Order: sequence, then C-alpha cells, then structure tokens
Amino acid sequence: MLLTSQKRRGASGLLLPLIAYGLPLFFIVAPFAGFLLYSSFRVEAGVMHYDLTLFNYRRFFVDAIFIPVMLKTCLLCLGVALLTVLFGYPVAFLLASLRGRLRYALLILVLVPLLMSYVIKIYAIRNILGGNGLLNKALLWLGLIDEPLKFFVFNLNAVLLALTVLLIPFAVLPIFLSLERIPRNLLEASVDLGASRLQTFARIILPMSLPGVISALTFVFVLAIGDFLTPQMVGGQSGFTFGRIIYSQFGTAFNWPFGAALSAILALVVIPVIALGASFDRSRSRA
Amino acid sequence: MPTKLTRRVMLGLALAAPMLLAGTVQSDAKELRVLAWQGYADDDWVKEFETESGATVKVVFIGTDDEIWAKIKGSEGQDFDLFAVNTAQLQRYIDAGLTTAYDLDKLPNQKEVLERFRDLSKVEGVMRDGKVYAIPYAFDSIGIIYDKDKVNPPPDTMDVLWDSKYQGKVLAYDNGEHNFSFTALTLGIADPFHLSADDMVKVKDKLIALKANVLSFYTTPDEALQLYKDNDVALIWANYGQQQVKAMLDAGANIGYVNAKEGALAWLDTWAMTSGVQDKDLAEAWVNFVIQKKISQQLSERTGFGNSAVETGSAGAGDKLVWLQFVEDPTKRSDLWNEIKTAP
Repeated sequence: MLLTSQKRRGASGLLLPLIAYGLPLFFIVAPFAGFLLYSSFRVEAGVMHYDLTLFNYRRFFVDAIFIPVMLKTCLLCLGVALLTVLFGYPVAFLLASLRGRLRYALLILVLVPLLMSYVIKIYAIRNILGGNGLLNKALLWLGLIDEPLKFFVFNLNAVLLALTVLLIPFAVLPIFLSLERIPRNLLEASVDLGASRLQTFARIILPMSLPGVISALTFVFVLAIGDFLTPQMVGGQSGFTFGRIIYSQFGTAFNWPFGAALSAILALVVIPVIALGASFDRSRSRA
Repeated sequence: MPTKLTRRVMLGLALAAPMLLAGTVQSDAKELRVLAWQGYADDDWVKEFETESGATVKVVFIGTDDEIWAKIKGSEGQDFDLFAVNTAQLQRYIDAGLTTAYDLDKLPNQKEVLERFRDLSKVEGVMRDGKVYAIPYAFDSIGIIYDKDKVNPPPDTMDVLWDSKYQGKVLAYDNGEHNFSFTALTLGIADPFHLSADDMVKVKDKLIALKANVLSFYTTPDEALQLYKDNDVALIWANYGQQQVKAMLDAGANIGYVNAKEGALAWLDTWAMTSGVQDKDLAEAWVNFVIQKKISQQLSERTGFGNSAVETGSAGAGDKLVWLQFVEDPTKRSDLWNEIKTAP
C-alpha cells in the first residue's frame, strides 16, 4: 500500500492538494471575497455604483437606527443562550445520568425536533401562544385569567421564548457530551471521600461540564443572531431584530451592497463569540 | 429547433402576406403567439377561438414580470404577438418601442366592458400620445378585510385601521412600498407613488402611529389566515385581495371586504401587442374574444381576480381604484420602513 501510493505520487500528489485547497477556496473563500467586495459598492436612488467605498459601513455608525437594533438583538440572543442553557442543562444532566439504551433513546427524542421544518415549528409555537391559542384557552378554562394574555405573543418576549424553544436541542447536545466525558471514578472518589451529592455536583461535575456549557452558549447565540424568520413570525410590531434589517436589504430595498456590509458587521460580532468558545475548548484539552 | 423553423416559416408567410391577402387566406397558415400568466388563456378558450378564427394559438406561460421582459425585450418583440402585462410594467415596453397601438374599431367588445374600463383615457397608463397600447383584462384591489362580528357597521374609510378601538387587532402587510402608498392615499395625497420629502415625513409619522394598532405584520395569505384564527383580529389590510378573501371564507371566517372611500390600490393586467406582431387583425380578434362577458366571467370564477367586463367582489361599481405605478424610490421607502419598525 505504502509503496503504490509513493509510486503514484506524481498524479495524486497534485490532485489531492488541489481538491483539499481548491474546494474551500472556490466554495468558501471566493464567495466570501465576492461578498466583501459587494459590501463596498453603493446603491443610490435605485442605481448601483461599482466604486469601492466604505459608504455602507459608515452608514451603520451614522444612521441612528442600526446600532440600537444591533445592541437590542445581541441582548436578546444572549438571553436566549442563557435560557437554553438553564433549561438544557437539567435535561442533559438527566440524560447523562441514565444508563444503557434508555439514555440514547431519550437523547434521540430530544433531537427529533431538529428533523422538522423550522417554519412548521414556528407556526406551532404561534398556535400555542396566540390570543386564542392553546395556552390562553387553557388559562381561561382554568379560571386563572379573565381575558387572553398578550404578554407572550407578537413582541420581543415571544421572540425570546420561540428562539429558546427552537434552539434548546443545540444546548442539550454539547452539555450532554461534556457530562458524558466525566470519568465515573472521579465521581466515585468524591463520594468515597465523603462529599455530599451537592458538593460533588458543585466541585466536580459543574466545573468539568463548563466547556460544554460554553459551547452551548456560543452555538445558540450564533444561531439566534442569524435568525430572521422567528422575529418576523412572532415578533409583531415590536420584535424587530438586526436579522430583519439585513433580510429587508435583499428583498424590497434591493440594496445588496448595504445588506452585505451589515452581514459583515454581524460577522464581526459573531467571530469573537466563536473564538471565545473555541479557546475554552482548547484550554480544557490542554489541562 | 422547432421554434426556429416556425419563425422561418412565418417570415416566409409574412413576405407572402400581400399575395395571401389578395386571395383566399389559408386557415391553417395563421398562428397567434401569446405570452400570458396562468389562467389568462385557458385551453377551452383557446380551442373555441381556434375554431372561430381558423388560426392556431400557441400560448407560453410566464411566472414573473422579469421573465416577460426577458422574452419580449430579448427578441425585440419578434417572438410573440401578444403579451399580458400590468400597467406599471407596461410603461417600459412602450418606452422601448416594443408595443403596437390598437385599432379600437377591431375591438367591439371593448364598448361593452364595465364603466371604469370603457373610456381608456381614464385608465391610467394604457394610453400614450392618444394611442391605446393596452386593453384592460384582469385586476384586483388591495382593500380591507373586516370581521363582521367585530366591526359594525362595515368600515368605509382607511382611518378605521388607526381607530384605537381596534388596538392590537389589526394585521398589516410587511412591505414599505405599498404601505407608503396606501397611507399617502389615507392622508389625501394626490399622487401616492411620487412623494415629496415633506410628504414622506408625514406618511412615516402616520405609519408609526399605525404600529400601535398592529398585532403583527404578515407576508403571505396563509400567514394572515393563521394569525386571524389564533388571535383576536378585527381588520386586515388585504395585500392579496380576493385570493385572501376566498381563503378566509373557505376557512369559515365571517368577514367582509371593502375598498375604502380614499381609494384602494389595485393592480391591473392588460393585453399588449408587440412591435413584432405578425397578424394584427388576428391579435386584435383574440383580445376582443377574451374580453367578452362569458370569458371574463369564467376568468373571475377560475382565478378569483376581477375582470373588465363583469362586476366581481374585487370592486363595486362606485369604488375608487388607484392603479399601481412604480414608486419614486423603492430603496428609500424600504429604509424608512425599517426606521418605522424600529421606532418605539
């Protein structure tokens, strides 16, 4: 085997690097470069100008609407990330503490929603939360409220809630994996040395699952900040996010350069978050 | 390949036309090439017209406005005799010299159409320099859908959307361009498609005020229907007109539809003749054929759109319709719409 591969080195030696570098170059780097190039063009009065400027980037800082929306969106997505971890951690913990077949059967059950269409899930959530929705009907029937609550639909709360529900599987998975990797003998040692269950959790399990928690936070934050569908569907008149602004540049506004610039700015926000997550992972594997 | 062959045959026929006109016209030689939207040239109508005229009709269906432009401009009008186009889009075809004016004497049925379409000089966009370049065919208005149980008496003004009685019970459409136009009409601005900077500000403030009443902005008819079912909705700005009305009635909703007195935005599709029309008489015969009452009635029954010959739910006889035009600056309107949506 080794011998033949050496013999053929001439041909495959060229082909393999070509594929290895060529594909990402062609499918990732080139489109991204084109995209950055686009962001330096400019649309004025419906006409595209192909000159290289920072016009679009300047506009983001000069126009009063963009930075507040960006901050609001970041805060929202941070909230979503924290909530998914808050709800996802106990689920992951339960799964990790199970044994054998049941553990993976339940894990698959948690992940099943990922196989369903995103839009259908949002429709379902809207159906539950709506003024005449399931939740309100149930509360009315129980006599807990006199008229339908509007507090959790068609506003920012609804976006927060919907994104949390939609993205929980992305929090459960990394946390579960980090919990699963904790060697059982460490836990046994902890018990043997007289630690209570709570002490074992606080001193051993929680610190060792922290990289999973950080991964979950980054995953969810990045997915949430790029979402433009959920705010449209459940945000009503107040749940407007940065993703919606980008989306609108490619639709009716037909201002692709500005949309590209806004996306590049969003990437600048997202990349440090991903880097943060990655650095945690590295520091853990070194330790 | 076959198209190329026919084109060559047709070219030959066109050259021989004077001779053919002098003698008896061979019935199988005539061909009409039609570019239309689905539902505008159904098979049974085509068959009937073919029997009546002795010509063969070749229909090509299109899916977008851009596709029409690509096909008509791409062949400089040579590949088709007739095409269906809305009045806003029509202007650039006339500008580019891709259309041929009609001879109204060849269209007796045009005298029988609804009042609002009879005098073509009063239909914005179909005439240029005293010549008729398009014949109205199908239309739909963008009116207001109201829940009959919640809005009584029926509304007659667009101001109802701003009425604090309906706070949180209004569904609006998520599109800056149209929202600016209809709000301009509500404010009594004469030309809602070309707003001055001052008017833009006025309209923007008015739309920010509308937000207080809006439950959500929708984008598709299905979405609006689901929102209506799951929430307490009284009024819907019906971007999809009769299509939306039908979907809601089918779902058992107790609703009505009105075009407000300020005027309702509406689109109007027409038949235009290309500059490359080969048999003008035949093309005019087709248009005359499809604007007859029977076909128009069927058009509305099958598509749900209004037609030019018979009254339908799209508009009452007295309703004021404002045919859509291109707006002064769609990008600007979209930017302002974002500002409106971020406003507190």
